[in-house]
Amino acid sequence: MMGVRRKGLGVRGVGTLGFFGIAIVLLASVVAGCAGELALGDPRTMTFKPVEFSPPDPERIVLDNGMVVYLLEDHELPLITMTATMRTGSWLDPADKIGLAALTGSVMRTGGGGGFSAEEVDEALEQFAGDVSIGIGRQSGSASLDVLSKDLKRGLQIFAALVRTPAFEPARLELAKLQAIEGIRRRQDNPGSIVGREFIKLLYGAEHPTARESTIDSVRRITRDDLVAFHRNTIHPNGIILGVTGDFKKEEMLASLREVFGDWKKGAIPELKIADVPERDAEKPAVRFVDKDTTQTHLRVGHLSIKENDPDYVPLAIANDILGGSSFRSRIFNDVRTKLGLAYSVGSRLNTGVHDQGIWLVRAETKLASTQEVIERFLVNIERMRSEPVSDVELAEAKDAYINSFIFSFSSPSVIVSRLIELEYDGLPKDFLQQLRDKVVKLTKEDILAAAKKHLHPDRLKIVAVGSGKTLPAVLSTFGEVKEIKLSQEG
Amino acid sequence: MSNRVCVCPTFHVSRFTLCFLAMAISLVSNVNVLSAASPSLAERVVEHRLANGLTVLMVERHQTPVVSINITFAVGGINEQVGQTGLAHFYEHMAFKGTRTVGTRDYEKEKPILDELARVGTELERRQRAIAQKTSEATVEEQAAVDSLQKRFMDLQAQASQYVVGNEVALLYQRHGGVGFNASTGKDLTRYTISLPSNRLPLWAAIEADRMANPVLREFYKERGVVMEERRLRNDDSPNGLLFETFTSAAFRAHGYGVPTIGWGSDILSLTPADAEAFFKAHYGPNRATIALAGDLDPKDTIDLIERTFGKIPAAPDSTARMAAEPEQRGERRVEVEFDAEPSIIIGYHKPGLGHPDDDVFDVIDAVLSDGLTSRLHRTLVRERRLAASISSSANHPGVREPNLFIIMATPLAPHTTGEVEAAIYEELERLKQEPVSPKELERVINNLDADMVRAMRSNSGLASQLALYQAVAGDWRDILKSRDRVSAVTAADVQRVAAQYFTKSNRTVGVLVKKSNGKTVAAAQNNGVAR
Repeated sequence: MMGVRRKGLGVRGVGTLGFFGIAIVLLASVVAGCAGELALGDPRTMTFKPVEFSPPDPERIVLDNGMVVYLLEDHELPLITMTATMRTGSWLDPADKIGLAALTGSVMRTGGGGGFSAEEVDEALEQFAGDVSIGIGRQSGSASLDVLSKDLKRGLQIFAALVRTPAFEPARLELAKLQAIEGIRRRQDNPGSIVGREFIKLLYGAEHPTARESTIDSVRRITRDDLVAFHRNTIHPNGIILGVTGDFKKEEMLASLREVFGDWKKGAIPELKIADVPERDAEKPAVRFVDKDTTQTHLRVGHLSIKENDPDYVPLAIANDILGGSSFRSRIFNDVRTKLGLAYSVGSRLNTGVHDQGIWLVRAETKLASTQEVIERFLVNIERMRSEPVSDVELAEAKDAYINSFIFSFSSPSVIVSRLIELEYDGLPKDFLQQLRDKVVKLTKEDILAAAKKHLHPDRLKIVAVGSGKTLPAVLSTFGEVKEIKLSQEG
Repeated sequence: MSNRVCVCPTFHVSRFTLCFLAMAISLVSNVNVLSAASPSLAERVVEHRLANGLTVLMVERHQTPVVSINITFAVGGINEQVGQTGLAHFYEHMAFKGTRTVGTRDYEKEKPILDELARVGTELERRQRAIAQKTSEATVEEQAAVDSLQKRFMDLQAQASQYVVGNEVALLYQRHGGVGFNASTGKDLTRYTISLPSNRLPLWAAIEADRMANPVLREFYKERGVVMEERRLRNDDSPNGLLFETFTSAAFRAHGYGVPTIGWGSDILSLTPADAEAFFKAHYGPNRATIALAGDLDPKDTIDLIERTFGKIPAAPDSTARMAAEPEQRGERRVEVEFDAEPSIIIGYHKPGLGHPDDDVFDVIDAVLSDGLTSRLHRTLVRERRLAASISSSANHPGVREPNLFIIMATPLAPHTTGEVEAAIYEELERLKQEPVSPKELERVINNLDADMVRAMRSNSGLASQLALYQAVAGDWRDILKSRDRVSAVTAADVQRVAAQYFTKSNRTVGVLVKKSNGKTVAAAQNNGVAR
């Protein structure tokens, strides 16, 4: 429930494109090679015709109170799902009550509402095998209902009650707080969790809305009145985009939605605006370690990056894809894992959204003895990406992979609808992915080199390593001045 | 926590058991919820058996021009011999290294180098082990022989690398728009997955038939290093991973279910190319495989395609492996793992595997105890008594086919201890013996099972996975339907009887994660005066 953050360029079918009923054309690839003794010939030389497909076009309706509804019927299975994306999030948490948004989301689900007690909600849903989940992340909230179509009426009644008029029963809030505190107490258990969180904090600053974390004290301070107010002040019908897919008839569904949501009054929706990190902080390199008794060094290396609506997004995303983003096909995977055998999970990522700065990072876990070598391989590969153009083959492979897997952006009605909702939530045009695709097709080696030079900064790298405090300082000292992050065990 | 290990990390944990019961699919012909809108999927499964024993299952779905394919081999960790643990998973990694055609620049030139590399590498490691086992230092001659082999080994490895086209199988799939290319190994099964634009099926057939017939174990020694890192990541540096490994190996003394799928570190480091080659020949025949395809396909064309490619591959010989049976447990076993992490606990009881009538009763117990906010363990331990932050159970740890364990896992809510949580769990298990479960609870179990079956049909890959899973473990995909009916026939009396028979002190194993920081053990499970 991190809200709306697409990972990479959608090279793995994580992406959208136009919904004008455009036929998607997959390019056939032609690659030369020698034939073997195979029944069908050599798979390396096979070519295929483009796959043509017109994805179904969801209907977009705006209710009188401003709630946006996307509808797409799909009668193959007797199921209906709906997901409300809500303009709320933990960027709205007061500084002394970090954790309020998350608790509000979780107790909206568990604390009853609309005249149903918490117990009645759980009993009813689980007896007819309906599923409701609600959560509030950093930049959006999400509430979803998943029912057999025969159970729509009672499912929708409960769903609307929890979203509109949650009761926040005190006992359920108390339990949620205890569980949240236990979660905080367990934050330092796994090295992977530690390195991920410390890296984000180092990039954005520990107080930044994208990085800040709840504490036992901040959770203890939160009261039921805080939840009631947070819900009342941030969740309004005109801040909701509802996507509905499955086995229903459009007119009947609209009537049902108007019945449960129609008389909900508009409100002032919060502005989703998150400050950038000051340039002087973003450009400072840093080397940090956390002392933990582990067999591997858990590594993150990277810096802040562009937003997804940046004009350089496509060339940088493809540069990252070739550098380390595309697993088996990427340079860093081939180097560190396949050729050197030094890591199992290794690669780079460009994580971007439109509301805050993105992150570009390289990651790996490797045994303590090979830590320095792995970081050096990262640096060599980053430098090469900035200093010489990618090969024609690499570019062709990256383009083919993106274009030919594009169809998976339409693998189901719910994928299609949720993509449209993401784009609308982020204020992006609905043909945004189509635009990306067109740019990928035209991309040159020079574009990629220019983007890598401009946006990959070896002199700004922030390195976080979790591992042995005995050996890491010396190992890391070749990459800059090393400082320790002391973990404070809470509770 | 995962019993499965994969060639490529997916950054999420899943338990086999969950997909078995909770996600069990679909093709339920006698459930009214299905007949409402769609023709029964049971009628949509097309089955085909090749002369060499390969089973093919297909479901046509033409909404989108894509297809998902799942190849499941009935081979896994339980097929390993002592001293070769981790071999099934390691072979799965090697299956990504290509064939005589794919992944090489010139196989004719590469082959003699690979053969020599395997010979030298095996001899080198044999001598290194011999020196390591000596009580005295290696003689000058012994050390010189090792050094010489080492140099030869490095030379050969460098020569071999000249012929490698790295990760070419993956590259081919990606170029043609493939997504979800991965594999996983469990105790019972090894599974290979891919989704493609549907007109690329010939590419898939050419690659996979070649992988099944002509794999080449290139980059062998480097990949051992990769798997060692995977082991460190999943088990050594993960408190949960290490607790599960320790707990499971304490529960099984003889049967292969006690061995971690990824293997013991020293075994992984001792695997030889000859071991991997022999494992492939013994287990990877078409007669051990099920291929399930779901999506935009034509069954007739697909069968024709598979006959022309996989049809030529000879069947593997009948298995001659002997498997140890787990002797009856004659007393409680308790193990601790000290870790720089907050405490948790696993409790497990031996039980029969798939095919035994009591197995279905455990599926019901599993759901009654821990499925949902209204389940007994959640209600009592989490909500009412606030002893645990989370609690869950599983009816098939660490595999499905053989006699296995029913397990309960919990994390205490501070300041409560694992001892208090353990005592409260035993009270709930006693309640199962003393009072019949209510009709409402039984109804809830079957309602959720039916709904989950429908939901599991949403994706092509989920559908293909479920069909291949049941075919491979039960010998018939229709067991999806049969198991649903068996579960629905379970009575309150069955639950009481089974609880009384299996949930006994002498039949249980308890694993506790104990907090240790800065070298000292922190009081965690002190008051475990729990035994019943």
